[in-house]
Amino acid sequence: MTDLLGNDLNLQYELLGPEIALVITAALVLFADAFRRELKIGQSAIPAISILGLVVALLLSLLWIDENKDFARLVTIDNFTTFFRVLFIAVTVVVIIGSHEYIERRVSHLGEFYSLLLLSTVGAMLMAGARDLLTAYLAIEVMSFSLYILVSLAKSDTRSGEASLKYVLLGGVASAMLLYGLSFLYGVGGSTQYTEIAAALSDGTSTLELPLLLGLALIIAGLGFKASAVPFHMWTPDAYEGAPIPITAYLSATSKAATFALLLRWFAGPLLPAIDSWQWMISVLAVLTMVIGNLVALQQSNIKRLLAYSSIGQVGFMLMAIVTISDQTGSALLLHLSGYIITNLAVFMGVIAFYNRTGREEIVAFRGLAQTNPYLALVITAGLFSLAGMPLLAGFLTKFILFQSVVSGGYTWLVVTALLASTVSLYYYLQVIRQMYMYQPEGDASRWRLSPTGYLATGAMLVGVVWVGVYAAPFYTAADRAIAPLFT
Amino acid sequence: MIPIENFLILSSLLFAMGLYGVLARRSAILILMSIELMLAAVSINFIAFATYLDGEAFSGLVFALFVITVAAAEVGLALGIVLRLFRERRTAYVDAADSLKW
Amino acid sequence: MLPTDQLFSDYVPVLIASIAGFILVISALIGSRLLAPFSEEREKGTTYECGMLPLRRASTNVGNRFYLYGILFIIFDVEAVFIFPWVLTFVGVGPLAYWTMVTFVAILGLGLAYAWKKGALQWR
Repeated sequence: MTDLLGNDLNLQYELLGPEIALVITAALVLFADAFRRELKIGQSAIPAISILGLVVALLLSLLWIDENKDFARLVTIDNFTTFFRVLFIAVTVVVIIGSHEYIERRVSHLGEFYSLLLLSTVGAMLMAGARDLLTAYLAIEVMSFSLYILVSLAKSDTRSGEASLKYVLLGGVASAMLLYGLSFLYGVGGSTQYTEIAAALSDGTSTLELPLLLGLALIIAGLGFKASAVPFHMWTPDAYEGAPIPITAYLSATSKAATFALLLRWFAGPLLPAIDSWQWMISVLAVLTMVIGNLVALQQSNIKRLLAYSSIGQVGFMLMAIVTISDQTGSALLLHLSGYIITNLAVFMGVIAFYNRTGREEIVAFRGLAQTNPYLALVITAGLFSLAGMPLLAGFLTKFILFQSVVSGGYTWLVVTALLASTVSLYYYLQVIRQMYMYQPEGDASRWRLSPTGYLATGAMLVGVVWVGVYAAPFYTAADRAIAPLFT
Repeated sequence: MIPIENFLILSSLLFAMGLYGVLARRSAILILMSIELMLAAVSINFIAFATYLDGEAFSGLVFALFVITVAAAEVGLALGIVLRLFRERRTAYVDAADSLKW
Repeated sequence: MLPTDQLFSDYVPVLIASIAGFILVISALIGSRLLAPFSEEREKGTTYECGMLPLRRASTNVGNRFYLYGILFIIFDVEAVFIFPWVLTFVGVGPLAYWTMVTFVAILGLGLAYAWKKGALQWR
């Protein structure tokens, strides 16, 4: 099969197996929910179908380990793509398992919720695999549009509609800016393919300095929005607070990971020749994000908002790896990303279980949790300590490796700022832990247990947090193999 | 042919007008219109680069087509959410969305 | 011709079209301002409610139906935007182009089926 220019088009549809499987599952879920009365199926069939589809997609994506093919020169299927496919699918599975009671009770439009969640995962997977600017942009929009709607689906919560409004308006502007930057990149590079842009930029056409600089600034602005970097972060606390908690978990995990996958692909690929122009921009972004994200978190009283600012702070650390981009920092970034996702999911699954029982989201509501549900308190504490960087937990090891690789990249001052910010973050994480362990429970002090799926989700994440902290070798090799295709 | 800078200046003017509209408008619908204006400016940019670059540059033209589609979908989606705001607050002004602070 | 002459002759139609557009819109506005009946008294402008003072604003439950119809129209209109260039060029590309477009239209048809099932197409 050849395209209009006579070049050979590789059209193996099996390469896109996971995405196709998820799209079919999303359609099935949507129609199963629409025809629920006619088909006589219960409400819990919908998450079951979704999980089935996700497992199929996972198996299909494992077929392509250590391959390096591309689909019609639009999507690359290499270890990097496979790594992120597995990551995104795993995140969605955990979110669905850990929160399906919450979803049944507190989310309107069940079928739409699950199908949009699946479609958002498809968008994220394509973001990680794109090798063409158009595919990348469309994937960003697929993921974002689904999230705009998902944020608004909390039942009878006026904050949800407001959060979604802010997210969609600001997201639209950020998309337009990103696109404007992409148009300049296209103009300077002469093509929308990453490899051709990289070749055009490294040939050194110095007459095109201004459009390239403008394009870079706009792209960084647009992607900074998606990654919640300061000063593009204002949507994050509101969207995280207003969204249903599973979507907050999903936003903090997949949305950030997909943006960083895209950042890695772009800044190690087409934009690498222009590194002198954007290195300082991203280092400024990283510093601002680390400092402001962690400082504003100190004043928060709502757990979702606190976690929003905490994830903004973490983004600052991860941006440092983009500044000194290399295969070493890239693999450290992937490792830190995985650890951060596992940890965040642990905390969020705990918060969901807590909300299911008490219906409250303020930090002071966590008082005495150590007495009423010691297991849950342990899970949340482990997650928060890991985010703060305590040894023996995931956060410490991944941060250590990340900071070490940035120092060897030559940006020691960034790491010093990061260490200071990390110390500050310990304070607000400890606030929550203090409420759980140092205070008596208010009101009902009887012990309660989680549901079976709650135990499954929180238990799996707790095991993950400790495993990555103590024995990270398998994750480290996976990250190494994943980043290799970007730097050959 | 007229030089490419003319097109780029035109698109940057449109983009700036759209950006001003987003920043200065209170009504959500007008903000969406301004976002559409920005996306139209981007389409002009893509088509200009596609026409003036050497070689077979279809990508820019295809990109412009997809941008139009995405813009339509985005506005449809955003209007639904604005409609929800309108039903809850009886106003389409975004100042009404003020319960989430700091 | 000098380059500026050619520039001028290329874009004169655009200028004429924009002036014609202006004239059209402005004449509609001026016409409505001049020809519409206008009463000096304020009471004649209020809503008629059998001679009594209006109790409350006329409730306009505009929202859903119009928006849904508008949005469905836009989606299928944009689908048509994709079909037009395909129609002109798919013969030379072969069966792949045909089946791709069939898949595309089928997916949008699924969307229509979903909207139908959810009752978006009912007027009441």
